[in-house]
This record gives sequence, C-alpha cells and structure tokens, in this order.
Amino acid sequence: MNIIVLLKQVPSTETMIQIAGDGRSVKTDDVSWIISPYDEFAVEEALRIKEKQKGGIVTIVSVGGAKAAEAIRTALAMGADKGILVNDPATAGCDGLGIARILSTVVQSLPFDLIIAGQRAVDDENFLVGAAVAEFLKIPFMSLVIQEEIADGKITCHRTIEGGTAVVSSPLPALFTTQRGLNEPRYTSLPGVMKAKKKPLDIKTLTDLGLDPAIAATPLMQVISLKFPEKRKAGKIIDGATLADKAAMLAKVLHEEAKVI
Amino acid sequence: MNTEHESMEVDVLFVGGGPAGLAGAIRLMQKAAETGMNLEVAVIEKGAEIGAHSLSGAIMNPIALKELIPDFASQGCPIETTVRDDEFYFLTADRALRVPMTPSYLENQGYAVISLSRFCRWLAEIAEGMGVSILPGFAGKEVLYDPQTSAVIGVRTGDKGVGKDGTPRGNYEPGVDILAKVTVFGEGARGSLTKELTRKLHIQGLMPEVFETGIREVIELPEDHYFTTSFGNDLHFLGYPLGLDIPGGGFIYEMKDNQIALGYLTALSYSDPSLDPYEAFIRFKRHPFVSRIIAGGKVIEQGARTVSVGGWHTMPQLAVDGGLLVGAGAAIHHAPALKGIHTGMKSGMLAAETIHTALELGDFSQKTLGRYPEMLKESWLGRELYEGRNFSAALAKKMPARFIHLAAQYLNAGKGIRDMLPLEADCKTLKPAKGGIPDTLDSKCYDGVLVVDKLTGVYLSKTLHREDQPSHIVVGDPEICITRCYDMYRSPCTRFCPGNVYEIHVDEVTSRRELKLNPSNCLHCKTCDIKDPFGNVTWTCPEGGDGPGYRRG
Repeated sequence: MNIIVLLKQVPSTETMIQIAGDGRSVKTDDVSWIISPYDEFAVEEALRIKEKQKGGIVTIVSVGGAKAAEAIRTALAMGADKGILVNDPATAGCDGLGIARILSTVVQSLPFDLIIAGQRAVDDENFLVGAAVAEFLKIPFMSLVIQEEIADGKITCHRTIEGGTAVVSSPLPALFTTQRGLNEPRYTSLPGVMKAKKKPLDIKTLTDLGLDPAIAATPLMQVISLKFPEKRKAGKIIDGATLADKAAMLAKVLHEEAKVI
Repeated sequence: MNTEHESMEVDVLFVGGGPAGLAGAIRLMQKAAETGMNLEVAVIEKGAEIGAHSLSGAIMNPIALKELIPDFASQGCPIETTVRDDEFYFLTADRALRVPMTPSYLENQGYAVISLSRFCRWLAEIAEGMGVSILPGFAGKEVLYDPQTSAVIGVRTGDKGVGKDGTPRGNYEPGVDILAKVTVFGEGARGSLTKELTRKLHIQGLMPEVFETGIREVIELPEDHYFTTSFGNDLHFLGYPLGLDIPGGGFIYEMKDNQIALGYLTALSYSDPSLDPYEAFIRFKRHPFVSRIIAGGKVIEQGARTVSVGGWHTMPQLAVDGGLLVGAGAAIHHAPALKGIHTGMKSGMLAAETIHTALELGDFSQKTLGRYPEMLKESWLGRELYEGRNFSAALAKKMPARFIHLAAQYLNAGKGIRDMLPLEADCKTLKPAKGGIPDTLDSKCYDGVLVVDKLTGVYLSKTLHREDQPSHIVVGDPEICITRCYDMYRSPCTRFCPGNVYEIHVDEVTSRRELKLNPSNCLHCKTCDIKDPFGNVTWTCPEGGDGPGYRRG
C-alpha cells in the first residue's frame, strides 16, 4: 500500500511569536521548528497502517525552505520511507490553495492508495490544504478522523462532529485529515535517526514539477496584517473582613461598576 | 522494568553538545580527514536541539576558535558584537562608581559577544557537514562500564514514554546503549554522568568543585539606548546587592538588534540560607544605574545555569580507560576572566587530538588517553588555568582577606599568599537560619515585561517537560526536607531554585508540612544538586528533548 503524508514544518508551539516589521509575517530568526502536531498524527497513522498491512511505502511530501528537510528527516526517523521537499523561493508567498496545487502536482507523479494530512497547520490555521488536494486529485475527502479501518479496497473513518462521531466510508484512493485522539505519535528512536540519514529525500523546484513559478506561486489571497489579541485587563480582588462583607461588596461592584445586575 | 536495550556502535561518542564537545568533534574530524581515517562520531545532547540548554554571558576569547576554524568569520560564525571597551563598576545601594582600572583579566577589547546557543548551533552545523552524527533529544542516563575492567565503554540513553508511576506508556521507546571506543563527557557544570563517573572511579579533584548560579536575560531595548552612544559595551558590576562578602556580580553586554544580555551570578558558597539568587538578580536589575540602562526594555528570554568556577585544583582526573572529561563539566574554566567557552573548546580539541592518536595506536586505555591532560598542562590553556588556580578560594574569603589574597595573586601569577588555598564544598557553607521566613521582594516590583518573577522567567526560558514522566529531581528522603532541613535552614531549596521547582506546603488542617515538586519548571541549572545541605537531592536527566528551549542563551 502506498501512503502519502502531507506535512508542514511550523514554529514550535512554545515559541514566543513576534510579528515582523512588515506587520504581515512572523519573525523567524529565533524560532524552533517542529512538525505541525496534526501532521505528526498523520505520520504515525501512516506507519501504523503500513505495519498492520505488513507492507507498503510511506512517502512524506512537504513544501518549505531548506530547513523543512529537518521535519521530513524526523518523519523518516519515525519510520517513513522517503521524502520529497518542494523548496522553491517562489513558494514563500503562496496561499493555501497554491500550496495544495503544488502538493497535488507532486502526488500525481507518485503511486498512491491513501493520503493523510493534518486537519490544519497550527501556524496559519487555514484548514484548507487537505480538502483542496483531494479536490485537485478528484478523490474522496474525510476530515477530523479519530479512527480508521481499511478493508477490501475501502476505508472507514470515524469523524468527530459536534456532540458525537460520524462513521463514513469511501473507496480508495482517498484523503483524510487527522483529529486529536487518533493516536499517540511514537518517539524517534536513536537507530531510527541513524537510518533516516540514509533514506531518500528529493528536493524539487516548481520548474522540476513542470509548474510555472509565476503562475503556481501567485496567491489569490493575501495576508494584510497580523495582530495579537488585546491584552486582558487586570482583575479586581474583592476585599472584606467576612464572607458576607465580601459578598455584599461583590454585589455592589457588579451593580455599580460593571452594571450587570 | 526489565527492558532489552538495543545497542549501537560508534568510534567516538561525545556526551553533550556544548562548545567543548562540538569543538572536540570538529577537531577529531579534521585530524581524521588529514590522515584518511574513516570515523563514526556521534554527539548526543539532552536538549531538543543543539543550543537549547546552552546559556552563557557571553564574551568569548576567540583564541580557541581561531585555532579550530581560522576562517570562522567567512564561515558565518554568529557574532553579536565586538567588545569596544570595558566598563567596570562598583555598585552601592544607589550609586555606581566607575572603577578606574579594569583588572587585566577582564580586558576584553576585541573579543566577541556571542549567544552561546547560536554559537553552538553553528558549530553543530559545521560538525554535521563533516560527517558527525548530531543527535539532539537524547539524554545520557547511565555510564556503561566494562564489567571486568571498569573501563568506560559508552552511555545508555534515557527511556522515553515512561509514565509518572514508572510504567511504560503506549509509545514507550527504550534507551539505547551507545558503545564507543572513547566516550567524551562534556555535559557542562555538574553533569549528572560526570558526577556519577568521578565518584565511582574516585577521580575527583584535589579540592571540591565550587559553583556560582547565574541568571541571565536577553532584553530588547528601544531603538535609542545606552549602547548607541556608550564607549564601552561590556559592563561588569561588583558590590550591590550581594556586598563584598559573597562572591558574585553582574554583567551587561551589547548584542545585535537592540538587544542586550544581562545577568547576575551568586556564588553558592553563601552562608545565609535566606538568600535567593533570583532576588539578588532582580535587585541588581532594579539598581538605579542598571534600571536607567534597561529602561523601556522587554525581557525576551531568561535562563539560569550554574558555572563551575573552582578551576585548577578542583579539576577531576581528566582521562580514564575509555573516557575523557572536557569543558565546564570538568571544572575547566578561567575563573579570573569569567570565561569558560574558549577553555572548554580548547579542552575538547586537545581531547580530540589525543583520541586521534589513540585510534592510530588502537589503544584506549588511560595510558594513551592520559596524553590529553599532559597536553592540556603544556598548552596555553594549562598556563591560564594554573594561573587562576587560587582565585575562587580567595574570592570565598571575607573582606579584607579577600582583597589581600587577590592582590597577591594578581602580582605573582596566581600563587598568592598561600598556594592551594583551600575551598569548601558549597553544600557545607550554610549556617542555620536565624529567624522565620526571610524578607522577600514585594511582588509589586514585577511588571511582567521588564522585571519578571520566577514563573514568568520559566515561561521565557521556553522550558517544557512532558508532565507524565517520573520526576527527574530525585529527593532521597522527603522527610528530611520538612524536618531537619526546615528546622535548621527554613527550606533553602524554595529560594535557591530559580524555577520554583520546590515548594513547601502546609496542610491547613493538620499543619503538617509537605514538599511539593514541580519538576516541569526545571531549568536544568543544577543549583539544587550542588547547594542542598543534606545531599538529599539528585538531579537526573528527564526525558531527552525536555527542558529549556533557549534560542539566544
């Protein structure tokens, strides 16, 4: 079984994000990078399917700068078989749809039975790429999956929906996106890291893929500005000698200052 | 747990991806390339990435770097600024007196201000380019010895995916035995494996190692700040708040992009159990002279780390069968100059040259590896360390004996009035607490932006530990904490720990005290392992990849 995982390298979740001078991007000088956590679930699930099916090839596909190769290497160290990185400066300005088009072009050149992607990347939170790749490839798409089974050329997925789960099924090839709870990703082992150094990782440009950078990388959507949420104002501590005093004071403040009662 | 540990063989293993280990790995690859030797060399590092646990001022004397990578500038070495001039101040409670003469050891003109995190990441890239396996996220948990000869044969890495109760979780990943012809320990001050090794093999130095705890921040200043017009951009401070009886002091260095490194060190030889090195740091920051320099700034990173300052007489035996000790973990530090990066690098390089010889001879016994301490002694590093041999012992003296010893050492190349001036271990210097709970700073002094409390500091160190794992801070007998230690010293761990790892809770009903540990806050500074007066705390490595996430450390 040929499984493809779409993966994005993102700033680590504990990085202190600073908005760059242009007001539209974040400073990347002192950022540590990780695999987007939902994509990590995708890698883990691909490896579990491969193990269960007793065979297959897991290919990691990513678009990003030279540094993104580290994220692919980590996935290879977890156990994936090969990686393809589209590293082209022209993709820096791409929007989600553009990235999806590039990814689907890569995937089209590969044999595949199943594609797994994170439900979203935790940096730009577009929730877009998985669905758009499925659309470009004209294959079934299932989002927010917490459990899957594959049998007889079909995949059955449990999707989280408001207040419960929905069980859906489609023929393969198909694409599904991950939801928290699907699995607990494995650690990269030391032997795994050593083996990963020797696994194939192809670097491609847009031209290599037969795409015209001027067209493929022109965004339809542009980021105008990034903003931090407004700072919360400090709370107020109600003082009083007894609980009854405090309650009376609270009622007074809610009535006179907050004007909510 | 009885687990099978896979094993993996390399020729040479460096434990710790700091300047000593990385410089050693690079030097070894250079020597191997010169002689057509094909080597498998690995560097393991407990931080999630190289540099994540590297913290220093830092002013670097580039002498070792020039020897290792002569064209370092064109290789993209990340240098923040070059020291224009030094300014040396004595602080009283409200004034700063410029000391007219800077001690020659502290003349840093032309030296590089660096972020050690960045510098180490750069060294690691160079090492990796030469074929070294750089393995961050893997902590050395145990030294492996040959059962017959006690020779060091490698290191076992820590298990991953173990639950709080010690049972394996679903994604359990057992540690791996990395077997090497030579294992080089470069763990930094108070390395957990180095501590184990020196005790097991009885190779401690002539005197106990002594330490200082440093707390350091990177602060972003407004565009127009002190250093845009100042003559000096390398400031050192003595005096307030520690006074003259406790060694320590502050520094401010100019970095790139309107940023500065600001730090304060407190020697752990202090005797007053109510002292809190973090509060000393905050008091230093709030000194009128310092506040003026940092006005309008914002703390963007904070960290803490101990420094091994004892020097020459506290250095352990540096070579054993199958193993070598390098860098700060082996107390290789030029104390009078407050510098340990060039000394660490040089020790790593000399270790590498010795290993290269050992590989050619096919002999990894102490007899061959013992060339490393010999070479060290004969090099500029040995001369530098020897000259500073009595410095920390003099600093530990009270005034005015301290100045007399220091002045004599300054004049006669380190010998001073008494050679081999004795040192006392930091765990033995506390005196019983006089009263109840000591005075602390008013919590209102923390504005959360320029002056931050301990927990905000932990956040700004980007420290992260997976919660569901056994505590890596091992308290031998928690009963001691709430009885003898509380009675005698009023739980000094709650103050000397800069990460608020230790708390003493009092049950409202029974009034019984209880030690509460927050190991997830741990900055890996090792102060507790050093200063605990009962030797009750043992610091071990948590899961590899956990701990601080310094980027500009």
